[in-house]
This record gives sequence, structure tokens and C-alpha cells, in this order.
Amino acid sequence: MNTLELDILLPAFFAGLLVLTTHIPFGMRVLQRGVIFADLAVAQIAGLGVVIAGLLDLADQPLLVQLIAVTSALCGAALLTWIERRAPEVKEACIGLTFVLAASLGILLMSRDVHAGEHLKDLLVGQILWVNDTQLIATALLTAILLTVWNGFRRHLGNFGFYALFAVAITASVQLVGIYLVFASLIVPALVTYRRAKRRYLFAFVTGIAGYASGLLLSVWFDLPAGAAIVWAMVLSGGMVRFVKTRT
Amino acid sequence: MIFNSKISPQRHRDTEKSKNQKIFALNGIHRFGSGFSLCLCVSVVKRFCLVFPLLLLANPAHAALNVFACEPEWAALAQQLAGGQATIYTATTALQDPHHIEARPSLIARARRADLVVCTGAELEIAWLPVVLRESGNTRVQPGGDGYFEAASAVHMLEVPTRLDRGEGDVHAQGNPHIQTDPRNFLPVADALATRLIQLNPAHATEYRQRLADFTQQWRAAIAKWETQAAPLKGAAVVVQHKGFPYLSEWLGLKEVATLEPKPGMEPGAAHLSQVLNTLQQHPARMVLRAAYQDARPSEWIAQRAHITAVELPYTVGGSDAAKDLYGLFDDTIARLLKGLQ
Repeated sequence: MNTLELDILLPAFFAGLLVLTTHIPFGMRVLQRGVIFADLAVAQIAGLGVVIAGLLDLADQPLLVQLIAVTSALCGAALLTWIERRAPEVKEACIGLTFVLAASLGILLMSRDVHAGEHLKDLLVGQILWVNDTQLIATALLTAILLTVWNGFRRHLGNFGFYALFAVAITASVQLVGIYLVFASLIVPALVTYRRAKRRYLFAFVTGIAGYASGLLLSVWFDLPAGAAIVWAMVLSGGMVRFVKTRT
Repeated sequence: MIFNSKISPQRHRDTEKSKNQKIFALNGIHRFGSGFSLCLCVSVVKRFCLVFPLLLLANPAHAALNVFACEPEWAALAQQLAGGQATIYTATTALQDPHHIEARPSLIARARRADLVVCTGAELEIAWLPVVLRESGNTRVQPGGDGYFEAASAVHMLEVPTRLDRGEGDVHAQGNPHIQTDPRNFLPVADALATRLIQLNPAHATEYRQRLADFTQQWRAAIAKWETQAAPLKGAAVVVQHKGFPYLSEWLGLKEVATLEPKPGMEPGAAHLSQVLNTLQQHPARMVLRAAYQDARPSEWIAQRAHITAVELPYTVGGSDAAKDLYGLFDDTIARLLKGLQ
């Protein structure tokens, strides 16, 4: 592998690692609670906030757009908390409905403002190869803060606290690597280590890291779109990790 | 009459005349009290209502052609050539990808009323225009008819593939359809469009001919001016985000050394990107070009890595604040390219 390829792959790989550090613990919690599609709903609500910002002519200030996206995601978190408290037996249906409602409202609003639509697209379909240094540094800082809060105050967070952290993490990661990779990073490592009591985190991280590394390499060797290649590579490495588990 | 004077202030709320009325009426309240001002107001409105229907009759709206333009550049050209003889609707904006738009009921409704459809053709609108035209049920504007005009058929096409393979992404059998990036293409298109307008509306033939002559003369002068301004751009190496600029490059003598997204809209593989970076090490480029409707991230990425300038071009009328009409479009395009050189 030449230096040019490393130059392209390393930032993408770091982006993947950053996403994994928050998404593996969050993914385990999401799986345990049975709110797997909460990430889609939260990302879509964050995107909806950006569309509204576009309608209010605020779209050309990137910091403000991020602030609005995070605020909307937090509103989404509050909604999820409320759903979990009021209708726990049908929460998956309510979360799915929230996703569809937010997505359709986005389309309705976009039909009036084309430029806002562009921003929504930018926000939801981050592509891992286009990661730049500013994004990496900002996400690294955010990840450090989220992990500190998560590790320090997990016991005192409560439902809303968890969803709030989750919403902020998703808003950042969706823009960094796109919705498919966010979903895969949340669910695949948590799912393949679901029955494992010992060293669950270790195996989960091995799955995630192997997925990003081999997916990016596949993307170089066969000139494949990186995001889609990583999703498949992660599922395949997840399968192998499961296999290792059954033998030991 | 009473009925008229009741409804008309609402109906013509936005006209200059009724604005004046309101100001007048307000002044009246201060000076003479409300009774007098009301009388005054009603009398002005009455007079206005008598005059307005006459204005409507005098307005040649019934004679104007309904033009449905697929892209803003053809709407602008039709406006130049038809002036007040056409009511023009534009189906897409500069911030939309003309390859992919969603068919809305309003598009079909507009196509139903159209006397003339003006589009780029060459398969640019193939994803939505055939559906819109079919659903419109308007026989005048079907492909092949007098009311259907394809700009691409009037110009010499570039990048006509020798071999057709859909696997290559948005490849067009008739060549690259983004003809509006070379101002010289507007001359034969204007010629053909004026001929079509005369055919559809022969009563105004003299006016169309006059407008065509004016446009051609001014446009030639503008092209000469742009070419002088753009002289430093000749031979400049550029990267393009997608294959949208062959006509611009041919006109100004830009040298396209690499394409960032080989298949428009699809994330390229890492191998392709490393190839692009490799090419740029051997043949350094000055800037990377993208159209206003495209995602900024790919060109920002290459700009950061290869230390070149990312330039967003308006691409069509409305693509930037300065590109308000056809002249502004190329004024701004040249200005942005020259700025990218620095």
C-alpha cells in the first residue's frame, strides 16, 4: 500500500474508531432496551431541525446549523423518553412512526425550499471518505466529553440522560460517516456479543475495528464505495467473532 | 358598483395604486377625520375599478405563449427572445440537480397548459420529463411536435460515447447534456428557439426577429468581453467534481486533469481517490470545480488534500446571487474562475 492510499484511509479509519468508541456502549444499551430504530428517528429529527433552519435563512452559519441540529435531536430524545415512559409495550411502533413522521415532514418542508433539502441530504448521508481534519478534531472532543459523562455519571443519568447523550452522539456521527455506518456500528458489535458475559467490550471492539479496517481495504483493492463495503465487512467480521466465541 | 368597491381593495392589495390609496387614506384620517377619508377612499377605488377591466383587456395576456422551461437558463433565454409575448414557468432551480427531480402535480398542471416546452434534451431530463409530458395529456408538447424544443439538438455535442454502457453511471447516448456552460452554444439555440416561437405565434414574427437580432448582437459582444477577461485561464489545469464542465473547458481552454466522482452522486472508492491524488502529484491543478447544486464535501476534501482552491460555479441562472440573468451567469462564472487562479 502506498502513502497516498494511507493518506486517504487513515482519516476515514480514525473517524470509524471515534464512532465506535461511543456507539458500542450505546448500542449495547439500545439493544437491551429494544429501541433499535431510535438512532434513525433521532437522526431524522436532527435533519428536520436543519431543514427548518434553512427555511428561516440561517443555513449559511455552520455553527448555528449544528446547534439547531443538536437542539432538535435533544427534543427527539425528550420525545423518546416520553414514549418509553408512557407506552413501553408499543415503543418500537411509536419510534418507527416518529421516524416516518419526521422524514415526511422534511420532504413536505423541502418542497418549498430546495436549499434546505440539500442541507438535509448533507446531514444524513455523510460519506466516510470525505472526512476532513476539522470534523475529526471536533468529533474527537465531543466523543471525549460524551465518554466522560457516560463513564462518570451513568448511574445517575436516568432515561432522558441516556437519550440526550445518544442524540448528541448520533447527530455528530451521522454527519461523519452516514446513517448506514451509524446503524451498523451501533447494532453489529452489540448483537454478535449479545450472549457473552466475559470480555464483551473487547469482542465488540474487535468486531467494529476489524469491520472498518477490512472494509476500507476492500474499498481500495476492489475500488468499492467505502461506506457500503464497511457495513458488509463488519457483519462478516462479526460472524467470525461469533464463531471464535462458540469454540472457546 | 358597491360590490366592486368592496372586493377590489383586497384583490389589488399589492398594486402600486392601492398602496398610494392607503397612504392617502391614512393622511386623510389625520387631517380631516375618518368620514372624509372613507369617502375619498371609496371614490378612488371606484375609479380604479372602472379603469382596471380596461387594463386587463389591453393586456395581451390571452395572446402570450405559455412556455414550460425545464432549466433556468432556457427560461432566461425564452424571456430574452419572447419578452412580454410569453408567460414562462421554470421546472427546476439552479440548486436542483436537473437529472433527478420529483414529479409534482404542479409540474404536470403546468405542462398541461404549455404551448411550448423548452428543455436541454440529450436525455438530461429523462428521469422525469417523459412522465410529466405523458401525464399532462397535452398533445402539442409531446416529443417530435411543434411545441417541444430541445436545445441540445441545435448545438455540437461533446463526449458522445462510442460505446453505450449504463454501468458507467449517468452517461448520455447523445453526448454530455450540460451545454449551458459555453455561452457560444446560446447563439444557435437562440436562433432555433426564435424560429420555433415564430412558428407557434406568427402574429408577432417581427418582434421575435427583432429581439433575436438584438440578443445575438449583445451576446456576441459579451462573449468577446468574457474571452478577453478569461485569457489568463487558458491552459489552467482543473479537477472537476463531476463530468459537468466539458463545454466550459473547451470554451476557455481549461485542462481537466481528473474527475472526482466518476459516477455522479455515488461515493467513489478509495482506489479511485488515490489515483486522483496520484495524478495531481504529477500534474498539479489550480482548482477544483463544482456546480452550485452539488454537495461541497468532495471538492473541499480534495482542496484540503491537494492544496488547491475549491470553486463553486453558479452553473445556471440563479446559481449564485450575481447570476441573476444570462449575462450575470457568465460574468460571475469568469469572476469566480479568475479568483480561483490566484
